[in-house]
Amino acid sequence: MKFLVNPSKFNEIADYIFKPVLILSIILFALGLLFSLIISPDDYQQGSTVRIMYVHVPSAWLALLTYAIMTLYSIAALAFRIPFGFIFNTAVAPIGAVFTLICIVSGSLWGKPMWGTWWVWDARLTSVAILFIIYLIVIFMNLSFENRIVREKVVAIFILVGSVNLPIVKFSVDWWNTLHQPATISKFSKPSIDPSMMTPLIIMTFAFMMIGLAIAILRIKTEIISRKSNLG
Amino acid sequence: MIIVKDLSVERLNKKIFENINLSVVSGNITILKGRNGSGKTTLIKAILNIIEPSVGSIYWKGKLLKKNLYDFYNNVTYIADRTSSLKKLTLKDNINIWKKLFLSNINNSQIEIALKTLKLDKYLNQKVGRLSLGETKKLEFLRLIIENKNLWILDEPLSNLDDDSIELMKQTFEDHCGKEGSIIFSSHQNPGIYVTDEINL
Amino acid sequence: MKFLNKIIFFYYREYKLNLSGFQDILTNIIFFFVSILIFIFSIGPNKEIISLVGVGIVWTLLLLSSTLSLRKFYQDDFEDGNLLILHLNGLSFGFIAILKTFSHFFFVQVPFLLSIPIACILLNIANDKLIYLSASFGIGSLILSCLGSISSSMNLMNQRNFLLGSVIVMIFSVPVIIFSIGIINMEESFNSLINILFGILLIVFAINPWASGLCLKLSIENN
Repeated sequence: MKFLVNPSKFNEIADYIFKPVLILSIILFALGLLFSLIISPDDYQQGSTVRIMYVHVPSAWLALLTYAIMTLYSIAALAFRIPFGFIFNTAVAPIGAVFTLICIVSGSLWGKPMWGTWWVWDARLTSVAILFIIYLIVIFMNLSFENRIVREKVVAIFILVGSVNLPIVKFSVDWWNTLHQPATISKFSKPSIDPSMMTPLIIMTFAFMMIGLAIAILRIKTEIISRKSNLG
Repeated sequence: MIIVKDLSVERLNKKIFENINLSVVSGNITILKGRNGSGKTTLIKAILNIIEPSVGSIYWKGKLLKKNLYDFYNNVTYIADRTSSLKKLTLKDNINIWKKLFLSNINNSQIEIALKTLKLDKYLNQKVGRLSLGETKKLEFLRLIIENKNLWILDEPLSNLDDDSIELMKQTFEDHCGKEGSIIFSSHQNPGIYVTDEINL
Repeated sequence: MKFLNKIIFFYYREYKLNLSGFQDILTNIIFFFVSILIFIFSIGPNKEIISLVGVGIVWTLLLLSSTLSLRKFYQDDFEDGNLLILHLNGLSFGFIAILKTFSHFFFVQVPFLLSIPIACILLNIANDKLIYLSASFGIGSLILSCLGSISSSMNLMNQRNFLLGSVIVMIFSVPVIIFSIGIINMEESFNSLINILFGILLIVFAINPWASGLCLKLSIENN
């Protein structure tokens, strides 16, 4: 597991797995789109628009997952002095921002036919919007400091402070009465979603994960190189 | 009093200086010499425990400096290469604030004498922002007297001063050493001050 | 005792500094009132609408005008090296952050707190709501000071993009606004909402010395 904290070990592993991950993501996307657009049934209430879910839900999960991993790496970087955490944060923040943006856009496309509005200010939507802005602030902070040592540590501190938003995003549908439906898939109970919809959702989630991983590998490698040559 | 052993500092994988050894006993004047950007300020910051050194250790009165930090801070006056006086306030206010901040028991007549020797007494009710750079620098040295501490650490004390003031500093340094105090200061030029130790960076 | 003296004289210093820069504080207040004026004219002088949205306007403008002075939170002391001198004088960075936060609260937020009644008269807000507004801002402004301390210490070394500091404060003050407006609009649940605000205050207050202290230390190390 050393490749998770050591840049040179990471580079070795990344060279091995980059191509398989990319190919896997393409296969999963093909499979997932086939399942989600053709094989899976229409919802009896929502009709065909339910298919937006297969983009919306995976990207939302991954937006949260990315931020959670960034938080863990920030703790690791600050508390245990693992510089790879800083590299990871710098490289991965834009990916998380894109996932959040996909989630917001697909959500509002879904919301227009279902709720009759592009956007409502309920707790889930607001907290996801805040997550997006936090991602943007992380990116802008990465761009606007001259001194790298200060920059990466300050960004890590900011990510830690901003992580208070994560539980709010996750539990907002349970804590407040919102228009957004509560989670239908949870670890502890039997999911309230039909297996015929569950399959494409899972496949799409893995497809998103793989493409995210592939881009992350590329970006982390670039970041390592630019640090070695003292560019960033 | 203070011993520096094999000190090296790295920033962004670049070595700034290596293997500095330094020991200061009471009555010593140590000069840190070097070109611009050779790491004089960094060394001073490392001694003040603001910057973590990559290798090496610093001892204060026989103990590791880190474990004895606040005792060290209670015995050191640090004057940076920038002036810390508050530009918006008058000289009098600044002196009052310093006196209170450092819990100084110095009396007013001593300060008046010091001001007179620094030729700052006529500006007492003026704002610091109006003084010239050299005068602000001289005002900064008033802290040495107000804080009344053993070890002086001065970053570029002689830049921007005229010849009279440099002469005055010389006198002050010698007086301080006579009173069992010690001084570490940095300079990029030859100061013409009697020093006991010289560190070349 | 020595320590207590140091705290007292820290505030003596802050008091002297703020007294000499009194026009800055006054400008903040003037900004606040001028923005209220502009709001009134952009909505139109309809009394009912104004009293409907008045509370929201007051809170928004309080937030905006208190973030105006963020630039000065640590920047001056950082640039002339006074933060370092305070630290060498035996105050840890986290403790300096706490002292500075309270100083910001006293010298920037309390004047706003005092000017709320006048704003309420201008915006036609009923007297009973004024109490709730003041109570919520009393707690909320301390939260804002803590957030301001965190964000401005983060941006000490950021020379390019200082507006980021204000954005950080605003994004984290969203829950403060939500619960404060909740207090004013739902008076029956005053107790529970004010408890939530207190909770947020305690969280932010606990994070503040850690985050600000670390950022101050970093900036001074690398300056």
